[in-house]
Amino acid sequence: MTDSLSIQNVTYKRGMKTILHDANLTLAPGKIVGLLGENGAGKTTLMRLITGSAKGAGDIMVSGDTAEADRKRHVSFSEQLRGFAGNTKLTRIIAFYETVYEDFEADRFTELATFLQIDTSLKLAALSKGMKEKLVIALTLARRTNLYLLDEPFSGIDSMSRKKIINSIIQWKPENATMVISDHYVSEIAPILDEIVIVKDQTIYAHRQADEVREEFHIGIEAYYESLYERGNDND
Amino acid sequence: MYFDDKIPIYYQIKNHIYHEIITGALQPGEKLPSVRQLAVDVTANVNTVQRALSEMIAAGIIESKRGRGNFVTMETTKITDLKTQLVTTQLAHVYQQLHALNLSDEEILASVQHYIERKGQAK
Repeated sequence: MTDSLSIQNVTYKRGMKTILHDANLTLAPGKIVGLLGENGAGKTTLMRLITGSAKGAGDIMVSGDTAEADRKRHVSFSEQLRGFAGNTKLTRIIAFYETVYEDFEADRFTELATFLQIDTSLKLAALSKGMKEKLVIALTLARRTNLYLLDEPFSGIDSMSRKKIINSIIQWKPENATMVISDHYVSEIAPILDEIVIVKDQTIYAHRQADEVREEFHIGIEAYYESLYERGNDND
Repeated sequence: MYFDDKIPIYYQIKNHIYHEIITGALQPGEKLPSVRQLAVDVTANVNTVQRALSEMIAAGIIESKRGRGNFVTMETTKITDLKTQLVTTQLAHVYQQLHALNLSDEEILASVQHYIERKGQAK
């Protein structure tokens, strides 16, 4: 089967500053992957490079396609809805998604919204942080595509919402789709991850199977991740 | 389900289902929920649940019937063997720990007996 994602020798600079260099990563279909790294490590940049909204050097292929328009079609990214004014009704945002994305399935959205208890009669500004994140997740998962990128979906939300979101991921991720979830707080999502990818020193520092880490080192994912950071930047 | 993140998740799921089979929460011949439903039930990844199931199928405790799903084996001897195996694992652990404290076999037996008696009184 074609890889969901292939990144080869990707380098990205902002002005004189290198954000990512020589990043290489291949993800197989049907996986849930944790993208871990400190704040500012380059996780969001990596996601923006994949969707094509940031442009760097190197090759990026999503489900076998390299052209930006094709890549965008295969990727559902958790947009933070910053383009919408606070007084926009959720029904209008949903209608917008239906128009823009061919693969947006209204039925899927309704199921997700019911499960996550989203009141679609509200306006965007009326949503709490947790509720807004649930909306973002529902919109992202309502598209039926090959690669889902969730950028820190759990930051600053309560544990009940977190559990609901994790459950919706398990239930609604299409079988052969791969999902990348970025986070700097690992323990909550560790049990649902197939693989972990660690961004450190401006590159893809490690890519491991989660259960392999547990089997090999007898430590949790969080401890493994911290151990890599504690090692400092001078090794190898 | 609560997971200990230091132990492979597939292994914990396998033990959880074995436990349900041994205690009778899952009966011989009973159909297991679908893989995705199991994943939702224990809050784990579908692939991880599949790996746990594959190992239980290889061990003969679960039978996969094409197009119909996964079932607990009807062969009760296999379940009895599984129970013996799990009990042995637990006992081996306790035995090893007590042996490491320089207790002789007789002393281990006596202390286990003493423990059970005292536990009975405490009720």
